[in-house]
Amino acid sequence: MKNKNVFGFLMNPFTRIAGWQAFGLGLFFVVLMGLLGAYSDIAFDGVIDMHMIDISLLQSFLYLGIDLVCLVVVMWITGLIVSTNFRFIDILGTMTLAKAPFLLLSIAGFFTATPDLSEIYKNPYIIFQSVSFVILIALSIPVIIWSITLMYNAFKISCDIKGSKLTVAFIIALLVSEALSKVLIYLFV
Amino acid sequence: MLPTYCPSCHAQLKVECLKCESCGTEVNGSYDLPVLALLSEDDQQFILRFVKNSGSLKEMASQMKLSYPTVRNLLNDIIHKINSYETSL
Repeated sequence: MKNKNVFGFLMNPFTRIAGWQAFGLGLFFVVLMGLLGAYSDIAFDGVIDMHMIDISLLQSFLYLGIDLVCLVVVMWITGLIVSTNFRFIDILGTMTLAKAPFLLLSIAGFFTATPDLSEIYKNPYIIFQSVSFVILIALSIPVIIWSITLMYNAFKISCDIKGSKLTVAFIIALLVSEALSKVLIYLFV
Repeated sequence: MLPTYCPSCHAQLKVECLKCESCGTEVNGSYDLPVLALLSEDDQQFILRFVKNSGSLKEMASQMKLSYPTVRNLLNDIIHKINSYETSL
């Protein structure tokens, strides 16, 4: 029963925490992600995306800043279209906290040996020779699923939408925010 | 908890008899249950808490250990139920 409660809280903490509290906690995780990501060569170059590349501290935070702004703004605009009354701070706080699972990938980056890029271009299958890299890829799947689940619940609770309207609006908003973050990162970073 | 729906056919119950325990007077008729009585016990407790907190959802969220949007969503659900009960009356 207790395990079920903990799992439920990890999948949807927003019944308990939202607004400024969620934003403060989420920002802590995001700053930590930026810091650790810069040293573990993990770049979050998309709302639900990450790559192993050598980046500076500034680049790491710029990527995360653009990701967060795209996610929050697009979800907010979508919320304005499909919902009647909600607070911006709830979208801001819950979406920021929804990024928290990616911290695990920032940490995992320290234990990952990236195969040589020039070798990967010659033979892409060489990535499977790095066990730690394969583990990182494998770990990224549940982390991304977890983060998307959090984003979905954040959107649901912040905007009070239900059913197919929620699902369709969320999917469109997520895809748009991911595409927008990619474009902005390409143009400005 | 006051029963509000028929246990047999689930139609909405009406009040037919009210009795005074002090003098034994009985008032008979066919009275609709008030809308608030049609709500579940949890919803009624929510409304009482809302009134006692002077309508402050922030205070309620703090007492119920829930987030503000969660409490607001619960209120929205109750508003929706009340509107549907009033429409059906």
